[in-house]
Amino acid sequence: MRKSVILLVGAMLLIGIVGFSAIPKNTLVIGANTGIFITLDPAVCYEVLPSVVDMNVYSGLFKLQDINGTIKAVPELAKSYDISKDGKTWTFHLRHGLMFSNGDPLTADAVVYSYKRVLKLHKSPVWLYESLGLTANNMNETIKKIDDYTVQIVTNKPFAPNVVMSILAQSWGGIVDPKVAEAHAVNGDMGSAWLTDHSAGSGPYVLKMWKRNSMIVLEANENYWKGAPRIKRVIIRDIPESTDQLLLLKKGDIDVAWNLTPDQMNSLKGSKNVSIVTVPGQSDEYVGMNAGWGPFKNPKVRLAVKYAIDYKSIIKDVVGGYAINNQGFIPYGYFGYVSKTPFHQDIEKAKKLMEEAGYPNGFKVELVTNTTERRRSEAIAIQANLAKIGIKAQITIMQASQMYSKYRQQGIQMIVAGWGVDFPDADALAKPFADYRVKQLAWRLMWYDDYAADLAEKAGFEKNPAKREQMYEDLTNYWFLNGPFAMLYQPLQYWGVRNELKGFKEAAEGYGLVFDLTKVYK
Amino acid sequence: MGRYVLRRLLLMVLVLFGVSVIVFFIVHVIPADPVGALLGGNAPPQLVDQMKHQLGLDKPIWAQFGDYMLGILHGNLGISLKSNRPVTQDIAEYFPATLELAIFSIIISVALGVVLGILSAVYRNSWVDHFSRIFSILGVSMPVFWTGLILLLIFYYILGWLPGTGQLSLFTIPPHRITGMLLLDSILTGNWEAFRDGLAHIILPAAVLGYSATASIARITRASMLDVLRQDFIRTAKAKGLSGRVVIYRHALKNALIPVVTLIGLTFGSLLEGAVLTETIFGWPGLGRYIVNALLVLDYPAIMGGTLFIALMYSLANLIVDLTYAVLDPRMRI
Repeated sequence: MRKSVILLVGAMLLIGIVGFSAIPKNTLVIGANTGIFITLDPAVCYEVLPSVVDMNVYSGLFKLQDINGTIKAVPELAKSYDISKDGKTWTFHLRHGLMFSNGDPLTADAVVYSYKRVLKLHKSPVWLYESLGLTANNMNETIKKIDDYTVQIVTNKPFAPNVVMSILAQSWGGIVDPKVAEAHAVNGDMGSAWLTDHSAGSGPYVLKMWKRNSMIVLEANENYWKGAPRIKRVIIRDIPESTDQLLLLKKGDIDVAWNLTPDQMNSLKGSKNVSIVTVPGQSDEYVGMNAGWGPFKNPKVRLAVKYAIDYKSIIKDVVGGYAINNQGFIPYGYFGYVSKTPFHQDIEKAKKLMEEAGYPNGFKVELVTNTTERRRSEAIAIQANLAKIGIKAQITIMQASQMYSKYRQQGIQMIVAGWGVDFPDADALAKPFADYRVKQLAWRLMWYDDYAADLAEKAGFEKNPAKREQMYEDLTNYWFLNGPFAMLYQPLQYWGVRNELKGFKEAAEGYGLVFDLTKVYK
Repeated sequence: MGRYVLRRLLLMVLVLFGVSVIVFFIVHVIPADPVGALLGGNAPPQLVDQMKHQLGLDKPIWAQFGDYMLGILHGNLGISLKSNRPVTQDIAEYFPATLELAIFSIIISVALGVVLGILSAVYRNSWVDHFSRIFSILGVSMPVFWTGLILLLIFYYILGWLPGTGQLSLFTIPPHRITGMLLLDSILTGNWEAFRDGLAHIILPAAVLGYSATASIARITRASMLDVLRQDFIRTAKAKGLSGRVVIYRHALKNALIPVVTLIGLTFGSLLEGAVLTETIFGWPGLGRYIVNALLVLDYPAIMGGTLFIALMYSLANLIVDLTYAVLDPRMRI
């Protein structure tokens, strides 16, 4: 008996003296749920958090940057660019003396290779290239090297410059070292399998390791053309549970908690060691009504719904105040943003509209949303709002994949969902929300409105900024009255961050599209 | 004995076939679209259709089932939609972490459960017995994710005795991968720092995972002990003048443990299942987490492969139990 007691005490001592080392000053530790990570190949990667890694490991010709609250594409590896008179031929002039993290020179060949690589691999981000008219079939004519420092691309339509630059500025526009990619190619995959968890870029960091469901380690690229970043090592620790993230953050074992809930965020208020950081999110949260279904065919009914919803209470109670009351489709901080908020709950007005439309006693409708707690709460709030004007909404909760599958087939009567911005230009929102011909949201909700579609399309080509801005304003005003959407809010992105860490807000500005780790320091 | 083993093996193959059929159809009747899940809500329909074709998901369900079964016969569980690697390779990467966790849980639950069971049988209706009963009821009824979070709060956050989530501290250099089991690899490579750190990390998840098993093992041990203690040979042993301890440990325990062996086998299977939640709470890079992630994006091959693999492990554990039983009790072989 005595022997076992000694053994037990010995074992406890052995384990008890575990060293909990503090995080070194040159290291950033992020706690996040990395379950979403599929691949880090920039031609394939499409998810938001993994893109943060790619954006800091690869550089593109352009880079997204927050300039006075607006996310804009600015030249990065390209030193300048020219656009032909017809607006379709783009000539990019590269900086001289660029190199990849391993020292290989970065020239026009690498740019052409990387763009063609996205088209050939044909994975999730490819449609953005294809929307510019660049395809695997025409790429030898449309993407060309002129000399070692000049690349030319030819788009099929005269897009507004910001559209083209914004698309090329994202993680899928990252330039890959052709030598490294081809050295690891298997069955003509252009190194895609290898690049899933390795890197061959020229960004400020190098991907050192990705141990799945455990951690991702980035190390500073000492060859980075703007100079090596201040934080030498970035570790993204896989912590799937948000409660665990909160505990580790408070204890100082991580610098940043990525996936906290609004309640957990509010519990951090007044903390001595941890701050709350928020930035406007690059997405919209909305209620969609199928304009091809029953009562929703009537624009007055859709308008009644917009007046029945209590936007303020949803923002305050469901998302804990972590949202912006934006009712147009263009997010805050964007060119074309319309600050007008015409809708607020007005039951009398909504009832009157229902009467005028011929539905004084309301109707039954199926309201679909997916399984996240936030969406469910939103659906319940909206159900209660609609009940006040006689609409009996029956909530159906589906797995996101199941919901989107039904949605794509135009099979949903009413939906609560969100839309992430694909590139920071009004065009990336006007088209899905107003142009049914691109077969995105307006099409899924059967809003076949040619006036809106034409206006959205024309605005995408308009070169004069003042005219273009006016077009988006006109479109938004028309959309407010006729569109099949009630915009609930624009979410805020939020993090819990240790006070030792500086520059996080600047780094996070524009998160969803861009995240610049070089701005962070301790 | 040879015929018995053969019969059991055949039965196992039948069970696995049944499992694969059921899993395949359950996964495929869900009216959802894995490609849509993979590509996200923004992807245009042309891209979705193209991907479906590439993955063979546009074929009729019978053709897909045929492909799948043919693959299994060749030891090929398909390519994971998410990781783009063969599912077997993914399982080989994640399973060792789960196995290690399960082994530790078994060690903890058997050690604790048997001791508690014996004590509450020997000191029946004393405070030890009451404590053991309450402990067991709690163990069976408390959800794993709750126990896990509470233990983390106490031992990591408040007391600071044990580390937080994960398999190792951030700055501990992991051992070179040989078996994939971190502690075993640490021993094999002589990386004692990693061993100590790994041991500290495995205690909480193993305890949480093993808790409900501890409870049931304690209850069964108690019942079985009480049963044995009432039998004639114990009375004889006592009458021979043997000391209480010898009677309990040498004579009673050996006989009382037979039903416990069965339970341990079954428990091992359920530990693999329970790992799904425990691994999520403790950020453990095992098979449970792999299956959860696969479910979230409807990664069919990974869900089916992972489930089939767990069924295989479960059947193997049962087979081993039955064989052990057959060795322990010759009547079973008939």
